[in-house]
Amino acid sequence: MANSPTDQQGITFSKVNKWYGALHVLRDIDLKVAGGEKVVVCGPSGSGKSTLIRCVNRLEEHQSGTIVVDGIEVDGTRQNIDLVRRRVGMVFQNFNLYPHLTILDNCTLAQRWVSGRSRKEAEERALHYLERVRIPDQVNKYPSQLSGGQQQRVAIARSLCMAPDIMLFDEPTSALDPELVREVLDTMAELASEGMTMICVTHEMGFARQVADRVIFMDQGTVIESASPEEFFDNPKEERTRRFLSQILH
Amino acid sequence: MTIIDWGYIWDAVPDLLQGLKMTLLVSVLAILLSLLMGLIGCALRMSPLKIVGYAVAAYVEFIRGTPYLVQVFFVFYGLPNLGLTLSVFWSGVVALSIWASVFHIESFRAGLSSVSKDIHNTSASLGLRRWQHALLVVLPIAARSALPSTLNTVVSTIKNSAYLQAIGLVELTFVAVDRIAYEFRATEMFLSICVIYLVIVLAVSGLGHRLERRLNRPYEGR
Repeated sequence: MANSPTDQQGITFSKVNKWYGALHVLRDIDLKVAGGEKVVVCGPSGSGKSTLIRCVNRLEEHQSGTIVVDGIEVDGTRQNIDLVRRRVGMVFQNFNLYPHLTILDNCTLAQRWVSGRSRKEAEERALHYLERVRIPDQVNKYPSQLSGGQQQRVAIARSLCMAPDIMLFDEPTSALDPELVREVLDTMAELASEGMTMICVTHEMGFARQVADRVIFMDQGTVIESASPEEFFDNPKEERTRRFLSQILH
Repeated sequence: MTIIDWGYIWDAVPDLLQGLKMTLLVSVLAILLSLLMGLIGCALRMSPLKIVGYAVAAYVEFIRGTPYLVQVFFVFYGLPNLGLTLSVFWSGVVALSIWASVFHIESFRAGLSSVSKDIHNTSASLGLRRWQHALLVVLPIAARSALPSTLNTVVSTIKNSAYLQAIGLVELTFVAVDRIAYEFRATEMFLSICVIYLVIVLAVSGLGHRLERRLNRPYEGR
């Protein structure tokens, strides 16, 4: 299923608007992410990029327009929210591992309570993905005993255990010490090479060049520019994009 | 003559054990009831309905701001006029539970605030239901930070059962005071019950500290 993109697969935003009170955080967003596509979203803080991806799995509610994920409309009904969340995994800036559970239990909790797998099945699956993110010998440790990079890789494995077709990354390396960024980006690049649909909010422009099919620049709740990485970095069309790039690329 | 008459204490042991039984019974009931009230009160305190939250806050302030002995008297002597007559025993359990519940409400609230809000998004993104998140994630994390202060209140609940002698509950302190009224052996009696209270309290806090160590294990770092 995950490796055979169809027309249905992917994410479509049509005229999506969102307000926090009087603050208009998403303005008429029209955006299509095809199945298997890797999109990097960047932009200044407060531009709405985190809000954008949080609307995909309904962590945030949009007030007008439609969002369709793998053919399912994110319309606020319990049933559709559950269906969408089953297909969409998410990784957060602050890792958000469950501090009271071991690495293994972090990866089995939702499998057992949401997918109804037995302990044995869930653990086998967890070990498989933990091996893939190269956390082999630490499965019985607690999150506080791991480095930030390791914690983030566990968070990725925990998401993968739920077999998503789409992964959302919300600034996954922003809270990491510089020397730990690489290992997380490598894990993400590996995932990308296996055909996962990905939307990644990040300022890691090296990663964007290497992995993204498309880079999107947002400012003040609108998509300003959307282009292939080559075009985006070497020949940005919009003035605001150029200004932003000159700020972050020094 | 020695200062303390050990033989007298020995003779009082059967009476003291009777009192101890009542102290333990009242304390255990009040601890359980107050913890339950604490949970419910804490949930109401954080209710999205502001008025409910304020009502609980007012309850907490009222109980914390008035003398506990007065509360005991109010439940036993005051409530009957308002149409609620409780036996000495149940007056004691209720007064003690009310007193302890407000401290539990505050400890639980502090415990909940130690759970990062963002972790709720993680659970949601993994497909966990609200109640599953509350039970499997919030509760264990909050319990750990609420435990020390909760333990404190539990220990105080046991000690504060002594006040219930004032409404005639025949518990440990009542037994001691009663014997002193007839036999004037204040030193022996008060010393004895102090030791008994101390033993109970040490046992309870010992158990609590073991639980604390267990809950702290995941957080000890490398």
